[in-house]
Amino acid sequence: MTLLNWQAKYSVGVASVDYEHQRLIEMINELATEIEGSVYTDAIELFLGELHAAISAHFALEERAMAKADYEELEDHKADHEALLEQIRCMMDEFVADPENGRKLLQESLTNWFGQHFATFDARLHGALGE
Amino acid sequence: MLTLLQTIGRSVIDTLGRLLAPAFEPPLIPLRHLGSLTIFFLWIVLVSGIWLLIFFDTSVHGAYLSVEYLTHEQRYLGGIMRSLHRYASDAAIITLALHMLKEFSLDRYRDNRWFSWFTGVPLIWLLIPLGFTGYWLVWDSLAQYVALTSAELLDWLPFFTDSMARNFLSEASLSDRFFTLLAFLHLIGMPIILVFGIWLHVFRISGPAINPPRKLMVGTLLCMLALSLIYPAYSQGPANLAQVPESLGIDWYYLLVYPLVQLYSPGVVWGLLGGITVLLLAAPWLPPARRAAPAVVNLDNCNGCERCVDDCPFDAVAMAPRSDGKAYELEAVVDPELCISCGICVGACPTATPFRTRSALVPGIDLPDLSALALRETLHTVSQGLTGSPRVLVMACQGSDAAKRFKLTGTGILEVQCMAQVPPSFLDYALSRDLAAGVLLAGCPGGDCRYRLGSQWTSQRIQRQRDPHLRQRVDNTRIALAWESPWSDYQDPVRLLDAFGRSISDSPDGKAPKTLASPIRRRFIRPLALVASYGLLALVTGWLSNSPPYQLLNPGQAMIALSFSHAGQRLHECHTLTQDELDKLPPNMRALTDCPRERHPVQVELRVDGEVVYQDSLLPSGLWDDGESSIYQRVTVSAGKHRVFIGMRDSGRTEGFDIQQEVQMDLSERQNLLVELDDLTQRFLFR
Repeated sequence: MTLLNWQAKYSVGVASVDYEHQRLIEMINELATEIEGSVYTDAIELFLGELHAAISAHFALEERAMAKADYEELEDHKADHEALLEQIRCMMDEFVADPENGRKLLQESLTNWFGQHFATFDARLHGALGE
Repeated sequence: MLTLLQTIGRSVIDTLGRLLAPAFEPPLIPLRHLGSLTIFFLWIVLVSGIWLLIFFDTSVHGAYLSVEYLTHEQRYLGGIMRSLHRYASDAAIITLALHMLKEFSLDRYRDNRWFSWFTGVPLIWLLIPLGFTGYWLVWDSLAQYVALTSAELLDWLPFFTDSMARNFLSEASLSDRFFTLLAFLHLIGMPIILVFGIWLHVFRISGPAINPPRKLMVGTLLCMLALSLIYPAYSQGPANLAQVPESLGIDWYYLLVYPLVQLYSPGVVWGLLGGITVLLLAAPWLPPARRAAPAVVNLDNCNGCERCVDDCPFDAVAMAPRSDGKAYELEAVVDPELCISCGICVGACPTATPFRTRSALVPGIDLPDLSALALRETLHTVSQGLTGSPRVLVMACQGSDAAKRFKLTGTGILEVQCMAQVPPSFLDYALSRDLAAGVLLAGCPGGDCRYRLGSQWTSQRIQRQRDPHLRQRVDNTRIALAWESPWSDYQDPVRLLDAFGRSISDSPDGKAPKTLASPIRRRFIRPLALVASYGLLALVTGWLSNSPPYQLLNPGQAMIALSFSHAGQRLHECHTLTQDELDKLPPNMRALTDCPRERHPVQVELRVDGEVVYQDSLLPSGLWDDGESSIYQRVTVSAGKHRVFIGMRDSGRTEGFDIQQEVQMDLSERQNLLVELDDLTQRFLFR
């Protein structure tokens, strides 16, 4: 299942950040497929840990790019990053505690998270960094 | 041997730390800021020095008077400035000595950390001469002593053919030029080199602490001001070269070795200083370092976010253009010459999270000897063995005192290279997976991190002030930063564990991380302890700055100083060359007479009341043995009437003297009788 598609308009003007956005989208799509088909919640939980690490690293890079460009909305943008990471962590714990509920939560959130963050924060970033 | 010395040093530092603990918040304990405190004292010295410079007169006769004017006429400005100038420079020596002792005993000077140690040693060689040239400039009786002794020390070195000490034996031979030279060295030359030296000293470490915390600056400045008001610095009577001062208040911080010059000899003192210096310079390699494997970058997990660069305390990680063809711009590169394998970079790496179980836990940067993966495995093992209620997991630095002490209590302990090697996600992991009910981070005592910034970064990460920070959802009351507690010297680990255990059970919903401090004790004892601590600093600084006094001459003694330069007669007479001899020489070298230049050594004998008190044969100076021989000797005699005989032979004769003289002298107490040779009249002069 393809949840998200990379589009040129998502570009923030920093090659490495764009590259990671695409990789993350691939990863999320893969996760979505897994949730659809898999009966093994373990696999999903494992995947979430992976996603959490990848997103943490990505945010670190994106925040660095924003700081270097003296991006005005760095603070707000970062706050949203932190909130997202908090959510993923909660989700991960939920999967351990109550896999079925976790699965439901995850399906609801996936598109929200990234659709939202991309549409609002990263969209504002568009062109603000470089080019 | 080294271990023994370090253990002794550590116990000194520990004792001091315990003494100061009641007075200061852990981050403010002066023992954590010795280097920056030294620099701060030097700032005080600089500012007060500029004031003194305005009023100082660089001449033989003006120097003393101008300092007297400063001290007495403008007592509440110049006088205080002068006292500040002295006491701050003394205090700088105290902090400097402790700074060295601490870095040595905590083993922070070897391996890749040699550079700061090595560049620090020459700074002592700058600071000490700055001190004694300062005392010299005042031109009081202490200055006279300093001048004469320094000159004796310098004369011992084979650089000067003529004796410099001779200048300080009589007023007539002293010139203002000398003061100009000294003033240049003291005011401009050495300070500039010192600033450059300090820059070099901290060159290799990132974010060096140049200034101590503001509270500490205010405290020490007030302390020095109080000392200057209560116990102002005075001169010790004008210099009088005809008299030897009986006893002197010596500044032992700067002039410690000077009495040894009289007690033994300049050569012994140079040997001692040279030996100590070589030993200090070589210390990082005695024995050579046991180097751990440096951090390694894994490009598959590095996106170039630069967090490791931010956190490395030794500037060992830098960013370089991407080399693996991925679309990232940068990658982290470790300089193995600078890396000291503390692992603080691992704690900063966003991919070093233990929640990664699908792929192998390989962070973007990792320590080969103690990897993040190994840490997670050990965490699980230790967790299984945790007993007691609540189940507290202790993290301690490998090989630290804390680790040893906690091991003795039998509690579960996870040893890490540095507290900041552990990413905050590990704590999230341990608590959320119920591997432990609480984690006690037993970092270096007082937060004085072995790797400089580890405890600071850890505190900030746990308090969510620094990336990567602890997730908001984690209850950070379950994490204790033990180094911020009153018992952070880990003398009583059981008590620390108990206190933490109780705090977890008692207040499950507090917000701030536990510092385990007791507020009552703080409120009443702290102000008293603060005054006492600063009082102690003032006392030690003030006392050793001019006491105990140094006895130069015993009562009823006088001194005879023998000082002159004289050229011995030629070893061979000139002879006129014969025609045969001339023919053998190349045409351009046919001088009619040949005068070999070598001279006889000058032999000198001094007798007092018929008894030989000094006898020596002095070789001519110069590359061709054709220069003057230089005689400089001081002899102590009892005051009163004496028959003084001086004889000198310069012709190679084996008996008798070429010039000799005997006089009856009545030496007064502490008189400095100068014996010179007037080459014109071929007679000795007694002054």
